[in-house]
Order: sequence, then C-alpha cells, then structure tokens
Amino acid sequence: MSEPSARRLRVLLAKLGMDTHTVGITVVAHALREAGMEVIFTGLKQTPEAVAKAAIQEDVDVVGVSSLSAGHTRSLPKLARLLREQGAGEKLLIAGGVIPEEDLPLLQEAGFARVFTMGTDTRQIVDYLRGWWSERLAADVARE
Amino acid sequence: MSRPVDRIQPAPEASQGTLAGEAQRWNDATRAPYVAAHPERRAAFVTQALKWPIKPLYTPVDLEAVGFDYLKDLGFPGEYPYTRGTQPNGHRSNLWTMSQVTGFGKGEDWAKRARYMLEQGLQGLILEHDLPTTNGYDSDNPLVEGEVGRAGLALDSLEDLERAFDLPFERLKYLMSVCNAPQPVNLAMIIAALEKKGIDPRQFVLHIVNGILIEYTCVGRYIFPPVHGLRIATDCIEYIIRNHPNWAPISIISAQLQPARANPVQEIAFSMAIAMAYIDATLERGFDIDTVAPYFHFVINVDMDFFEGICKLRAYRKIWARLMKERYGAARPAALKIRMMTSPTTIALTLQQPLNNIGRLAIMATACALGGAGENMTTPLHDEAHALPAEEAIRVGAALQHIVAHETGVADTIDPLAGSYYVEALTKQIETAAMAEIDRVMQMGGALRAIETGYFQRALGREQYERNRDLEEGRRKWVGVNHLVLPGEKRQIEIFRADNRMEEEQVARVRALRSRRDNVAVAAALEAVREAARQGSNLVPPCLAAVKLYATHGELCDAMRDVFGVHTPDSQLTGV
Repeated sequence: MSEPSARRLRVLLAKLGMDTHTVGITVVAHALREAGMEVIFTGLKQTPEAVAKAAIQEDVDVVGVSSLSAGHTRSLPKLARLLREQGAGEKLLIAGGVIPEEDLPLLQEAGFARVFTMGTDTRQIVDYLRGWWSERLAADVARE
Repeated sequence: MSRPVDRIQPAPEASQGTLAGEAQRWNDATRAPYVAAHPERRAAFVTQALKWPIKPLYTPVDLEAVGFDYLKDLGFPGEYPYTRGTQPNGHRSNLWTMSQVTGFGKGEDWAKRARYMLEQGLQGLILEHDLPTTNGYDSDNPLVEGEVGRAGLALDSLEDLERAFDLPFERLKYLMSVCNAPQPVNLAMIIAALEKKGIDPRQFVLHIVNGILIEYTCVGRYIFPPVHGLRIATDCIEYIIRNHPNWAPISIISAQLQPARANPVQEIAFSMAIAMAYIDATLERGFDIDTVAPYFHFVINVDMDFFEGICKLRAYRKIWARLMKERYGAARPAALKIRMMTSPTTIALTLQQPLNNIGRLAIMATACALGGAGENMTTPLHDEAHALPAEEAIRVGAALQHIVAHETGVADTIDPLAGSYYVEALTKQIETAAMAEIDRVMQMGGALRAIETGYFQRALGREQYERNRDLEEGRRKWVGVNHLVLPGEKRQIEIFRADNRMEEEQVARVRALRSRRDNVAVAAALEAVREAARQGSNLVPPCLAAVKLYATHGELCDAMRDVFGVHTPDSQLTGV
C-alpha cells in the first residue's frame, strides 16, 4: 500500500447540460495538470446523472463543474444530491463560471464548498485544492 | 539598473543624412541616454494577442522594411484591395447599423425586449436562441432542464416565433438569427412565421449565421458529424440564394474564434479557411464565385489592444479581396468586398468593477469605428460578465455607439489612421502571417480536415492557457482583475433574471401543442425530412412543410439524427 500523501489528487471536471463554453475549463484543466493533479474531463453536454456516475466510477476526490449559462441553480444542486444519495457525499464539490453572488448561498447549501467566479486566478484554485487535500489526508491518517 | 536599449534600425547601410541613419542617431544620442536614466516600465512591450514586439518608434523606414506600397497595399476606399474600406465614402454618407444582442425567455418576452431596444434607437436585432434550441432539443427534453429560455429564446415550434415576431417590423432593418447546427429548422420557422404574419420578406435583411464549422472548432453547439454539418449549412445557403436573394445566408463568426483566444493571425486564417470550405461546397451546387462571394458576411471582434484590433480589420478586408481574386478568380467588386460587422469583445469585460466595462466598450467601439466598422456594429453590455443584460445596460450600450458616431469625429473622415507608420507596418505584418497560415491549413486539406483532425481546436486550447498565464503572472495588466483590485468588492449593479416559472410554462406549451396538432401529418412530414437527409436533396423545403404542421424543433433534429448520427468528439478534438 502506498503512502496516502503519495497519491495524486484526482479531479473530475464537468460541463453540465447545454452550456458549451470551454475556455474556463480548458485553462483550469491545464493549470491543475501542471500542478501535478490528475484531471479527467467529462466532455460536453453531460447530465448530472452521468457526471455522478463518472465521479464514482473514476473514484475522484474532487468534482468541479463549470457553468456559463444560467442553468446552475438547478443542475448543480441536483448533481450534489445524486452524489450524496449514491454514498459519494465525501467528494469535494466546487464550481466556477458566470455565477451571480446571490446564488452562492444556494450552491453552498446544496453542498458546493467553493464557487470560483469568472476571473479567478487559477493559482487560487490550485492552492485551495492543495489545502483541502492535505487536510483530507491528515484526517485519513488520524482515522487510521 | 539599465538594460540594453533596442536598436531602432538594423540596416547596415544606415548612414547620416538618410532617414534610417537619422533614426539611429536619434536613438543613440537622444533616446538611449534618457532610457538609461529612466528605465522602461516593462521588460518587453508586445501586442496583446500576437505578442509581437512593439518598437519604441515607427518611421517611414518601417514601411520600407515591410515593402509597403501605397497603391498596391491600400488603394482607395471602395476600390481593390479595399484596405481603406469597402464604402467609397466611409461613414460620411451612412453610419454603420447599430445593434445589440438580445434574446431570452418565451416568444412574448423576446418581443417585449426587442421593442424596447428598437425604441432606444437600435435598428438591428440579434435573435439568440437558448441552448436547448441551438443543441437541437425541445424544452421538455429531460436533458435540458434548467436551461430553457435562459441564454436566449426558447424555440420549440412555429408558435414561439409567431409570438416573438409581434414587433414593429417597419423599424427593423436587420435581423440576425444565431442557430447553427439545426439551421434548416430555424430558417424554416422564420420563413413560416413571416408568412403567417403577412410580413414581406424583402423589407428587411434576415441574416442567418449558419456557422456550424466554427461550432466544431470552438463553440461546441454541434449535433451531427462535421461533414453532415457542412452539407446542412450548404443546403441553407443554396435555398436562400435561390429563394430570398436579398437575405444573408452565411456568416463567418470570427467573433467566436476570438473569445476562444484565436490571435488575429489565427482568427483571420481559420475564418478564411472556413469560408473557403463553404464556398467550395456552394460552388458545387452550380453557382459561380461572383454570385456566391457577396453572400458571405464576417462578424469580427475587437479586443482592447487598440492597434492590433484596427490593423486586423484592415487586413481582413484586404485578405478577402486577395483570396477571392487570386484563388477564385472573382471579378465583380461585390465579390471582392468583404461584408463585415464588428463588435467589442466580451472577453475584455470583467466581473470585477463592472462599470469599468463601459469605458472598455467605448474604447473598443472607437477601435471598431477607426478600423472601418463595417455595415453593422453590435455592442455587448457592461453587465454581461455577471448575468444576462439588464435594461439600464441596454440603454447605456445603445448610447455608447451614438457617442462614438456623433461626438468623437472618428467617423468623419475615411480610414483616418491610414499612413500611420505603426498601423501600416502592423497591418502588413498581420496580412503576411495570416496568408502563410491560410496556406498551411490548405495544405492540410482545408478547414473541414483541420477540424476533423483537431488542428484548430488544439491550437486554440494552447492560446487559451498561455493567454491566461500571461495575466496571472502579471505580464498583462487587467484593471480590477490583477491591477487596481478593490479588496472586498461588493457588486452594485442591476441584474436581469429569467424565472423558473417560465420554463414550466414553456414545457407545458410544447406538450399541449403535441396533443392538439395533426400528428399523422406531422409523422409523414418528419419522414420526408429523413428521406431528404438520406437522398442528399435540400433539407429546407421538407423542414418548411413540417414546421407549418407544427412539428417541433426537437422532433426535426431527431429526424436528422436518425440519418446523420451525432458528433461526440474526444478530448483531442475539443482541445480541453
């Protein structure tokens, strides 16, 4: 068995529904890969069901959703609910894109730990994920 | 600490008394000592997108270096090669048509917003469909939950357009409709709605984008595999040329390549290669180039690098003229003149300090005007980074174009920056590099092949990542993002919101429609569409027959999916 810290953080990046804007997710995918994380991209036009299934099958630690249409208030909470219902509630959920500030409480309540709105420095996302990952690994070690 | 000072002119024969010699003398005697005492504020000055070095000073020597020849490179407005504009009198006779993007909600919501915009002095409208529509689904498809009517008009059936077209059509000069993958369906719905409303299709210009090849390149709203996408687009071009010759059947939306971070050279080259793919397919339908070429329109964005944007617009005109003449042997002036619509880019706008975007839009709109705005200028709105546009933003956006047109004087003489040493040198450099890239794509087998192999997509993916790094690592300053950032900034701007009830109503409407109409006739009409798809005959007439029977948009797209299949590109073909 390998050291927990030796395991690379696995991230699933997803586009839900009909929103096909990919510049943000492309930039984030490159930045996370460069930071040593393993990045899997779902492809375009996915359903919350398909993304939840992929997240479980690929055994990722983080699910990141990019949303640049206004559909986020429904599809994102649905994805979070599906993951919880399928026993995958421990995965970190993050989102990014064009998301008005007043929608943040709704997404947080649904289970999204952080929302990175348009213009966020990718280094902030990398730092946040690294911080979360080391806490998660420390908690795992403490449990063992 | 000082760093080496640029050599102004490398010309070895530069000597005293010649301009090159004098420029070198100035640099050594006057500029260099100054720079030694006052180091430059950047390690390197480069253009925003191309990252080409910018010299401290441009002189006639630079024009000589790029082989600039006034008569060959510029000529006169309204004459080949149209660098100084396609109109003989610039904007002195007619200003560009001023328009804005609109489109959301149900048909009557779109009509209400469109009426408001026409009352604000706009003469052109852009009808954007929602994402379910552009991806070929009805509003009640479970795949599209939460997206109905959000990013544009929900178009399920002819009923929706009948409601949307409750407009003062006499004020409308120009209607642009953006719906690429399901274009024959969209076109059929518009024709049928005009017919039902008794509106003469000759009284305004319907401009359909029909730009499926750019969807595969970077936008992503495709349905069918690229080769079928090209055939469908060509069907629409052919139908319009034969039946509505005053309309515009095809646009090359370079303004979608640019937000995908195409630099000006890629933007010109990819868009021209794509245009040539449509031209070749249309010529195969039995038209000649002098008939086909005038139907092509380009929509081109300008970014914040003022000169890169202006020079790009000038190079666009010249390159189109050269390609049509040199590659296709076009002879009619109408075939050699590019038709362009320009717009400030949305990617220059920030979520942070959104009112700053009004300043950015004014600068970019000025660049559009100085570059020769084209027939039409559309301005995005300053709150677009946040959400869909609010009414105040629409009013400011409309005023902004009038300010540029009437208060600045930039539209009062033709191509006012011509002859600027920097502008002419950069225009020529962009032209030369773009022509070389066009040759490269043609050697690959053209645009369809470049898309099928992922060449365009991967090139843009690299640009996206590199451009973002420039920003994050501070090589480019962006106010509100990495410069003059307001800590703890609070958003203070009005936001328009579509409501969830609207989706429920739209879903109820399309379901009610399906139970009300003649479903036997609809099924036969859908089979006729499948048959045309299989036979290779033009898809527009059977789509028109079907929409008049209230076959839905999703049903018609499904009929074509049955024959063409769907496009599911891997990561190599998306560039992500």
